[in-house]
Amino acid sequence: MSATATLPRTASVAVPPLYEARNITKRYGNFHALRDMNFHIGASEVVGLLGDNGAGKSTLIKMMSGIVRPDAGEILIDGVPTRIENRSASERAGIETIYQDIALVDPMSITRNIFMGREITNRWGFLRHAEMERRAIEVLGSTVHISGIDDPEKEVGFLSGGQKQAVAIARAVYFKRRILLLDEPTSALSVRETEHLLDYVSRLRSENVSSVLVTHNIYHAFMVCDRFVVMSHGAKVFEAAKRDTTMEEVTDHVIRT
Amino acid sequence: MAAHNITADSIAAARGGGSLAGRFRHYVRTRPEGGIVVLFVLVQMVCIVAGLLVPAQFRYLIPANIRVTLQSVTPLGIMSLGVGMLMIAGEYDLSVGAIYSFASVFAATTTNLYFGGATNPIAPFLGMVAGIAVGVLAGIINALVTIKLRIPSFIATLGAMLLWNGGVLLYNGSAAVSFQPGSPFVNLFSGQIGVIDAGFLWFIGLAVAAYFLLHHHKLGNHFYAVGGNPGAAVAIGIRPFRVKMAAFAITGGLAAFAGMIAMTRVSSVQPGGGQGMELQSIAACVIGGYSLTGGRGSILGAVLGTGLVFTIQDILLLLRAPGFYFDMFVGALIVLAVVMNTAIRRKG
Ligand SMILES: Nc1ncnc2c1ncn2[C@@H]1O[C@H](COP(=O)(O)OP(=O)(O)O)[C@@H](O)[C@H]1O
Ligand SMILES: [Mg+2]
Repeated sequence: MSATATLPRTASVAVPPLYEARNITKRYGNFHALRDMNFHIGASEVVGLLGDNGAGKSTLIKMMSGIVRPDAGEILIDGVPTRIENRSASERAGIETIYQDIALVDPMSITRNIFMGREITNRWGFLRHAEMERRAIEVLGSTVHISGIDDPEKEVGFLSGGQKQAVAIARAVYFKRRILLLDEPTSALSVRETEHLLDYVSRLRSENVSSVLVTHNIYHAFMVCDRFVVMSHGAKVFEAAKRDTTMEEVTDHVIRT
Repeated sequence: MAAHNITADSIAAARGGGSLAGRFRHYVRTRPEGGIVVLFVLVQMVCIVAGLLVPAQFRYLIPANIRVTLQSVTPLGIMSLGVGMLMIAGEYDLSVGAIYSFASVFAATTTNLYFGGATNPIAPFLGMVAGIAVGVLAGIINALVTIKLRIPSFIATLGAMLLWNGGVLLYNGSAAVSFQPGSPFVNLFSGQIGVIDAGFLWFIGLAVAAYFLLHHHKLGNHFYAVGGNPGAAVAIGIRPFRVKMAAFAITGGLAAFAGMIAMTRVSSVQPGGGQGMELQSIAACVIGGYSLTGGRGSILGAVLGTGLVFTIQDILLLLRAPGFYFDMFVGALIVLAVVMNTAIRRKG
């Protein structure tokens, strides 16, 4: 392997990363969506995941979220080998994801989307609507300030692309614990909304929540990320800490490969 | 600039403001049953006025008419509660009519043969439990075939319909089966309280239970999620298999119960009695605002959709229209309801 393999992990020999994927392969038929991929997330760290369309970034994100199963490889949580083969397992590992395809249910309300699968209920499983609505309002007001969402009971199908993205962000933010995965979260947001989200990711780092930010915007990546990983054709082609690289070098690797 | 935060004021404004008319408009536009509520109330008002104005020609309000209408709503209404929940979860069950027949025949024959028959007052209750168990089991089989073998439920349950329809003939032959339970059973499921019959009260009770399950319970929320966007449901940790299994089982159980209510009322069961109800129940749900692609619908919609179908049948009977008019009117109603609901939603 190249010099990329020896980067920051050596700095934290004693403390294993929060999350580590080793030699992951994912095939769709004969096509390799992930090829011997190594990836890790340290404590209080924001990782920028870059690469052209089709590089395998979303596949890696979904693999970490437990909804894509790797064909080969190993996953370690806090250094302990762990099987993450469904969403419940990744949730237990403290992983929360904003998916690129949003993953909202159009005919359901904003509140129901935020709490879908993790409803607040009484002991018999009946929904506590008022409590969920109160919390939905709180989280929608505090993370991405997005205009036009006036009623948490509104069906998500009636929202704009940016508003939907805000709901998906609010949901992940509400339930975040240790690791937040953001797959192109700003694609439908305005400049101001994007800045707000990036600020929020930085703030999370100081609260010991690590993030992975997938983006095509290298300026955004340089604003918040501590380390960059560039993928191409399902494999890692470049990795560097922010202090050891430049925007030109990272851009060069994204374009060249 | 618009306000960025959701406030009590913004919520109130979005929900139609302070006026009653505004809130009503908001309700009609946003709820799946919004359109059908209006249509149902209008039709009832017209019928009641006509019944008051020309009581001799249009006997809508005489007790016998009300009693018969409430009785005839009950079986399809109970069935539609389940069929609708399953539609919300994104699946169809075309075998409900066959389950309705098969489970009833099974309940009647086991009552007559194994539990001491009419002489034992407990027998029909045990027969009913057996019949509901058959319905639930049939629903679970539908779920397993649909989900594990990855066959569209439309096809899987079409096969099940043919299977159970053949099964009842194989098991029982085509003869009607007599069902003469003792009076506790008859009173409980078919007794009369004024113009209301006990079966109708069971329908209302089950509708209330279904309402709490679908709209206020976690499981109902998951029906909407897996039907509205299966990919999102999986991505967030909901397991479609379990959820759909529950929906299929409830649907089968309700279809069986509907058959037994009908059988108790007429003291016998025809092996082919449920034929056609599979499409009628889907029609009732569609009229009530359910989406054919899943994720949308409400219990009130299923109840009023069924109610409207039978109101139309009743009107045609009172006007002595030939039987085929019924199908034509229900056909027109389905199209009208879908056009209306789509138009309302576009405006919303
Ligand atoms: N379910 C799937 N079946 C087949 N191919 C897939 C599937 N999901 C992703 N791929 C393929 O894997 C490659 C990587 O996709 P993806 O991870 O979405 O890339 P990125 O997010 O970097 O743009 C693409 O070529 C895509 O077509
Ligand atoms: Mg992607």
